[in-house]
Amino acid sequence: MPSQALNIAGRVFKQITRDHRTMALILMVPLVVMTLIGLSFPKNTVLDGIAPGLLATLALFFSFLLTGISFLRERSQGTMERLMASPVSRPDIVIGYLLGFFIFALTQTLIIVLFTVYVLGVNYHGDLWQIFVFQIVIITGAVNLGIFISTFARNEFQMVQFIPLIIVPQIFLSGVLWPVEQMPKYLQWVSAILPLRYAVDGLKQIMLQGKSLLDVGLDLLVLVAFAAIVSILAALTLRRGAAG
Amino acid sequence: MAEKKFTGPAVEVNKVSFNYDKLKALDELSLQVPTGISFGLLGPNGAGKTTLIRVLVGLLSPKTGSVQILGQKPSRKSAHLIGYMPQLHSIYSELSVRQNVDFFARVYLLSDKQERAKRVEETIRLVGLWERRDDAVLKLSGGMKQRVSLACAIVHNPPLLFLDEPTVGLDPELRVSFWEHFTGLTRQGVTIIISSHTMDDAAHCNRLAFMRDGKVIAQGSPDELQEAVGKPLATLGDAFLYFIHRKEGASA
Repeated sequence: MPSQALNIAGRVFKQITRDHRTMALILMVPLVVMTLIGLSFPKNTVLDGIAPGLLATLALFFSFLLTGISFLRERSQGTMERLMASPVSRPDIVIGYLLGFFIFALTQTLIIVLFTVYVLGVNYHGDLWQIFVFQIVIITGAVNLGIFISTFARNEFQMVQFIPLIIVPQIFLSGVLWPVEQMPKYLQWVSAILPLRYAVDGLKQIMLQGKSLLDVGLDLLVLVAFAAIVSILAALTLRRGAAG
Repeated sequence: MAEKKFTGPAVEVNKVSFNYDKLKALDELSLQVPTGISFGLLGPNGAGKTTLIRVLVGLLSPKTGSVQILGQKPSRKSAHLIGYMPQLHSIYSELSVRQNVDFFARVYLLSDKQERAKRVEETIRLVGLWERRDDAVLKLSGGMKQRVSLACAIVHNPPLLFLDEPTVGLDPELRVSFWEHFTGLTRQGVTIIISSHTMDDAAHCNRLAFMRDGKVIAQGSPDELQEAVGKPLATLGDAFLYFIHRKEGASA
């Protein structure tokens, strides 16, 4: 592991943990959201059916938002400019931020999964650890996506505008609310390029049909490829000249 | 001091142009900065000072012309030779003074833990913040944040420093203290490029370049520039206006 990536990850970790209000929000928001969702579904059977889509969507949404806004702050505060004028390489910067933000995205995802299973009492098949592994792949892609997309925003307001553009269409087109197969053909084609579709598909197979990670290998592969491509794009857009 | 033996010009800029879309920020600008001096880039807002510094530290690539710092093209490979203090504070407000300075010490490859701790302490003491070393930066005043930002730029002992308007917003006492730091650094052989729009800063520099509309309109020591006006007791402000009028006269 490159030492500069670890240096950056350590700094991101210290920075977020020293901000107690941010830390409280990172821990509280998933709990509040999941509680509200639990209360709004009186019948567990309904919740059982939508839980995979919900877990995938919330992992994507929280990780994207956390990373996108935090990374944008680095640029608006000028700290990214300073880093880009230093000897640190672009891959080190992207990997460093990925690791730093990943810890918090993982914490939020753990809260969501454990709350869903143990507090909301959602029934699922398959192994819990396999659900976690699948979620980890989803948040890796989402964290990289947040870093990549934030390079196109000049301020927090613009970054927030990317949420309806990047997240909301995926919720409607990825099988979270209704099956992709029931959509018009052209929407199914659009759906084929959305990472959330593979995340929902894989988690549904694990949680509803008790399949293993090997059985959902294709979904996993697409998500891993997505994470890799977005991280390369993030490194490429972090040109020394684009620091501001 | 690392890389101190370099004897050529610390900075060489040869006919550099840079545009932001249609706006010409640097217009075939040339200048040379000898090593071991403080060199002031003086000019009004929009003169191209920050753009020139961003080109020199490698954040922007010139559209035409060439740039060398300590005999090398600005790049990641030569980045350890420079210290850069951007216009914004550009430090991590949630972290303490020490955490900020230590982070940049690691960024600049000071990997030996003991040596790094010693250097971090020396630097924080140098900018007079040792008593506040464990305070979060967000609790500090604007002037103190500027000092943390300076500490982050000099912690790795670079032979070449770029300071973009380092004294903006500082009270007169702090301004004097900053200039004491800068003069001390040049005595050690460090070359300092400072951008400013105040004549107070200009008077402290060994050499100056007056900038306007992306060009250098005059270069020299403060005394030389004042003498060029041809009036007794001419100030640097007078000299700046003199060169602007002379240039406008020449181009009319």
